[in-house]
Amino acid sequence: MTGLRAGTFPEAAVRERARTGTAAAFPDLADYGHALFGAPAADPAADELDAARLVPPVFVPERLEKLIDLAREPLPTDVDLTTDIGGFASALPVYLSAFGSTQVASADLGQAASGQAGALGVPMVVGENVVPVNGYGRLTGGAGRSLLGRIRAYADAAPDGLGGVVVQQSTEDADAEVWNLVYSDPSARPLLDSGRLGFELKVGQGAKPGLGGMTVVDAAEGGRLSEQFAVEPVFDPASGRVLRCASPGTFTEEILRQQVRLMRNNFPRARVWVKLPPGRDVAAAAAVAWEAGADAVTVDGAEGGSGWAPTAFLAGVGLPLAECLRRIGAPAGCLLVSGRVWEGLRAVKCLALGARATGLGRAALIAVDEDPRAGLVRLVECLALELRMLVSALGKYRVPALSPDDVWSPRGWAVPERAPLGAVR
Amino acid sequence: MDTTTDTGTATPLPASPREHLASPTTRAVLRVQHAVLDAAREHLREHGFTEMLPPIIGPVTDPGARGAKQVDVDYYGHRYKLMTSAILYKQASLTAFDKIFCIAPNVRLEPLETSSTSRHLAEFHQIDVEVAGASREDAMAVAEGLVAHVVRRVVERSAAELEVLGRDPDAFADLLSGRPFERRAHAAAVADLHGLGHDQNPDAEIDWTGEAMLSAKASRPFFLTDYPKGSRGFYDKESRDQPGRLRNFDLLAPEGYGELCSGSEREHEYGAIIARMRETGENPAKYGWYLKMVRDGIPGSAGFGIGLERLTRYIAGLESVWQASAYPKVPGVVSP
Repeated sequence: MTGLRAGTFPEAAVRERARTGTAAAFPDLADYGHALFGAPAADPAADELDAARLVPPVFVPERLEKLIDLAREPLPTDVDLTTDIGGFASALPVYLSAFGSTQVASADLGQAASGQAGALGVPMVVGENVVPVNGYGRLTGGAGRSLLGRIRAYADAAPDGLGGVVVQQSTEDADAEVWNLVYSDPSARPLLDSGRLGFELKVGQGAKPGLGGMTVVDAAEGGRLSEQFAVEPVFDPASGRVLRCASPGTFTEEILRQQVRLMRNNFPRARVWVKLPPGRDVAAAAAVAWEAGADAVTVDGAEGGSGWAPTAFLAGVGLPLAECLRRIGAPAGCLLVSGRVWEGLRAVKCLALGARATGLGRAALIAVDEDPRAGLVRLVECLALELRMLVSALGKYRVPALSPDDVWSPRGWAVPERAPLGAVR
Repeated sequence: MDTTTDTGTATPLPASPREHLASPTTRAVLRVQHAVLDAAREHLREHGFTEMLPPIIGPVTDPGARGAKQVDVDYYGHRYKLMTSAILYKQASLTAFDKIFCIAPNVRLEPLETSSTSRHLAEFHQIDVEVAGASREDAMAVAEGLVAHVVRRVVERSAAELEVLGRDPDAFADLLSGRPFERRAHAAAVADLHGLGHDQNPDAEIDWTGEAMLSAKASRPFFLTDYPKGSRGFYDKESRDQPGRLRNFDLLAPEGYGELCSGSEREHEYGAIIARMRETGENPAKYGWYLKMVRDGIPGSAGFGIGLERLTRYIAGLESVWQASAYPKVPGVVSP
């Protein structure tokens, strides 16, 4: 372990899952036969998504269909979790979110997470500024923490036909031509040839909508990066450290539309993803991206983010993920969301409210910090078990069958009109 | 040596430098290329153009398209680029002369799949032309006149070389007939390709297969115009009459040889260039010197760049564009 902490995140629970895997989906085994269980007495809800509940129906026509298909009563293990995530076949409705170049991910955690995401057969997004900060890793020998190191760790572990690597690029990274570099790189060719390479246009970030990426670097590093990024002396000079700020980029509808089209034109063999911040016009922006041909739109709720951010932004800027989902409504394309997702319950709520898959950011970092060899695999195995149990409890056996009427919120949620009783066979 | 493409066909690659240079084919091709350069300079000089020598490295170059990577060089600790096109310098140079051309080397790390298109090189040369105050139609007329003159001169002066290469001069009868080159809008070309069963993205460049299909149906070069925004760099001017369409053109050779030349009317107004840079994913900060010149005022212009090796390939009737280079750099292939 590296001393990584996540005070605003259920860190202990994630670490337990990284250690014990599927067993952590249940109460402590030592309590079995001794304790009486029920709903937690205190409301642990941290936001509207947590406050919402999944509401299984009594009548389950899709279970009947599955029963007929199987010639036996269906079980949670019969739930098919495979799905299409932004043009990639995935074993689960889960993807690994980008960690960027923040110090915690610059350590070997990013690479450890890459290998395990590959083994799980789920897509992985790689933060764009890994290249300007940690290098690409081609001519400099050992790939290590570089972008190439993460791509290789992923590709070496990924099963045939599953998953994909999505490389971000934001405004400053245009200088490094990250996408062009990857697209013309022989090392990336197996991913490209197998249709498992994508590029993500980074329009914004969850935890600090309206701001660009921020890292803290020492003064010498700040000098090196000052040609490309703004470097601000916001800390005590005696600390020897400075704040490195990226730009959020300037976007209008036309700029977003044309950038997506340019990506499709320039990289016809790569998938095109667009990452949106939790802005008030997130629904309009998602619509523009899908209309321009984006294979996926990723929305980071304001709860998300693993990087350094001003406390004011963490406390009160940006739409919560639940509100992003509400505003987008029925998505016109593949919608991917992230924001404090680490277990199956919150994930299924997101899937029912329109998302195709949910991203693991901080949870993945904590898991690989707990166990760099298998922490993320165990965390995701536990999450997958919960997904299967929860989806089957809703009388469904495929993730796309989930719908908003599977969710009840005490604060109200627009639930689609129920079919008249007579129509239910 | 050869490489097997995705479609399973084998594309020959260059032999050793000695074998390549000593080959009678290469020698004939390079003599044809010499005649092409001679004729191009002759024609442009007679039409009032001044030849300028563009830089080889700079803080920025043409951002390009279709996934080609620029080559970074360490210039006293600063990231400089090898030129991928002279375009930005051509615009700037119009503050010195109204009609310019340059014959410039360019380096683009093309995506690896282009190694099997028979018409991509990582290092190549362009005949770059720019005219102050010109319209797209003016630039197309210059390109048409230039190509016709060059082909005529090669037919007149390089008959022996064409014979060595087995290239029948009658292949140029339609080109030299004096009939103007056909002009076809991108949207019409897309419709044609859809009619041929080819899945062409209407928002993108005509893909290489599509270009070859259109080219194969022609007997003399033809222009494609009005490409959609999102398919080209920020300097191609957007049409006022047709928002979303660019005032640009490509010139395609017949017989399946495909693209010879790209050109356009240029954006030259500061605000428009900044907005277009953002639409093409560029960071304006790295274009400091260029944007300062634009802010202080550069002339409106139109121009084009003709790929020298592609033009040579077409005229010489070669299977691959690398045959038109003394030291060919096929994308992804390590070579001198």
